[in-house]
Amino acid sequence: MMKHVLLAAALGLIIAAPSAARPLDPVNAEDALKIMQKSICSLNQGETVIHWWKGAMFSRVEGEKDRELFKLQGMNIRQCINLTDPQRGSGFRSVSREVMIHLDPKTGEIADKWTNPWTGEALDVIHVANDPVNMRAAMYAHGKDGKPLKAEFTVMNGRAFRSGNAPLFYRNPLGGDYQDWVGGSYHAMEMGTDFFYASDLFDSKVATPRHHSLSWSRLSGWLPWMKMGDRNGAIYTATIGGRVASIDQLPEPMRSIIRTRYPTYAAPPPLDDARANETSWEVFKKLHPAKPVEAK
Amino acid sequence: MRRVLLIPALALLAAAAPPKPLDPANSDDAFKMNTKQFCSLKEGEVAVHYWEGTVYSRIRGEKDRHLFNVAAMSMRQCKPYTDPVRGPGSRGVNREIVFYLDPETDQLMRTWKNPWTAEEVEIVHVHNDPVNSREPSYARDKDGKPRARFDSMVMNGYAYSGGGAALLFYDSPLAGEYQDYVGGKYQASEFLMSAAPMADLTNPKATRVQDSVFSWGRISRWMPWMKMGGRDGLLVHYMGGLRVNSFEELPAWMKTEVRANYPAYTVPPPTDDTRPNETSWTVFKKHIDAKRAAAKPAESK
Repeated sequence: MMKHVLLAAALGLIIAAPSAARPLDPVNAEDALKIMQKSICSLNQGETVIHWWKGAMFSRVEGEKDRELFKLQGMNIRQCINLTDPQRGSGFRSVSREVMIHLDPKTGEIADKWTNPWTGEALDVIHVANDPVNMRAAMYAHGKDGKPLKAEFTVMNGRAFRSGNAPLFYRNPLGGDYQDWVGGSYHAMEMGTDFFYASDLFDSKVATPRHHSLSWSRLSGWLPWMKMGDRNGAIYTATIGGRVASIDQLPEPMRSIIRTRYPTYAAPPPLDDARANETSWEVFKKLHPAKPVEAK
Repeated sequence: MRRVLLIPALALLAAAAPPKPLDPANSDDAFKMNTKQFCSLKEGEVAVHYWEGTVYSRIRGEKDRHLFNVAAMSMRQCKPYTDPVRGPGSRGVNREIVFYLDPETDQLMRTWKNPWTAEEVEIVHVHNDPVNSREPSYARDKDGKPRARFDSMVMNGYAYSGGGAALLFYDSPLAGEYQDYVGGKYQASEFLMSAAPMADLTNPKATRVQDSVFSWGRISRWMPWMKMGGRDGLLVHYMGGLRVNSFEELPAWMKTEVRANYPAYTVPPPTDDTRPNETSWTVFKKHIDAKRAAAKPAESK
């Protein structure tokens, strides 16, 4: 054990001295902030970071075999602003736009129409185009209560990875005013895993990870445009992806779709974007304004 | 004599032209690449995987609950085959364990208080032995037609695979003879997504991929040991993990637990293993049947 410590110190002196590179410490709050920022975007303020993913969406209805409804391609384009706070230390906030398109599971072509296999109704597919998808609050080295941030990654075989869940259960913007009594709450869970190389993520000299793979899944009730009403069941996604350096590297058909349908999504929102976030449920509401109440 | 002469000639050849990288468009090579990713081209080379994550409940009308953390390992090996018509082949044999951990402390749990029924139940950790391929698969079909495909998406030197799912819907070994009429089927979906460097996959000298990460999810009914009966709801496993080089590289607590209570799982099954596969449902049936038999030895005859 002692030998190890001495060896590490010697290596540290010899290797670290000239370049001043040092490993970031996940339990040091300022270092943890850097690690988290690198895992979400980049230490370079304003550097555009693009995530992409591909996979599929499935249905779960109790008593029937799950169905593959769509193939999926998604992308998120973001940048981060660097912040400092006298009490909380270094911080950052990411701002982003996000597109996810639904593809025909057989042909891989974009699916703009869909025949609901349970109701037989032909429906318009509303692809995900959410602008913005921003961090609601900035992340700092210390919480509001002064608690130091920790970067919790599992480190094995030269890799650093973490997975997390976000269970969501809140007022559905498409529901009525009595959801606690009659149901209809928005109910979903987001799941994600991020994979890095430890040498890359924990290197203080590397501002943007050279490699990042990710996986994303989501389990929720039916999407509003599926027009499933109160029918029992759920949908879920299974996807894999990573980062690309530019929109030009995205796979087809996403690359072309961004250019033709979502040109504003070729760049992230401005660093000081203060708009409220948009979810697919809110987008649907805008596209389908409620019928005016009849005059009394 | 001829042999002796041939070897130096080949050696010369090898020095001049290093072995060509495997070609993903070639069916035989694609088969080898796929085999390398989660197993090995070399007999006896053990593939060890580790993954960890969470288990949540999903019940209509309530926020999903974080029931457990989970950590898993599998021990696999593959026997290589060659067939003059079907090309390279491989059969994998495997054992796997998923441990259920306290969601707050990460301590291994032995019992669990079901929050819906308030009953304290014994946890039966997933320990499936074996989880084998029934027979070898080959790069080509019986007529020699190319069958294996390398269908990962290649981006920036990495191969990304997954996005499909195994949609499982069949008679539950724990249910009765009339499941098509009254329900109770085994219903689950398992999805595996992975990423690995193309350099590892196409390297003709590497018998396995060393650097492979993956994410695994499963959406199913309640585990039988939760004793939820016919209650509505889903169970969601979501995990991330990677390939490691040996059993020794697994977390210390896991090695201790495996050695103490699941000693067979320190190595994969033998490559000639012919036992039928186990699932958590068949393992649980044996578990309950054994308990029932022990509880009433006199009545059973």
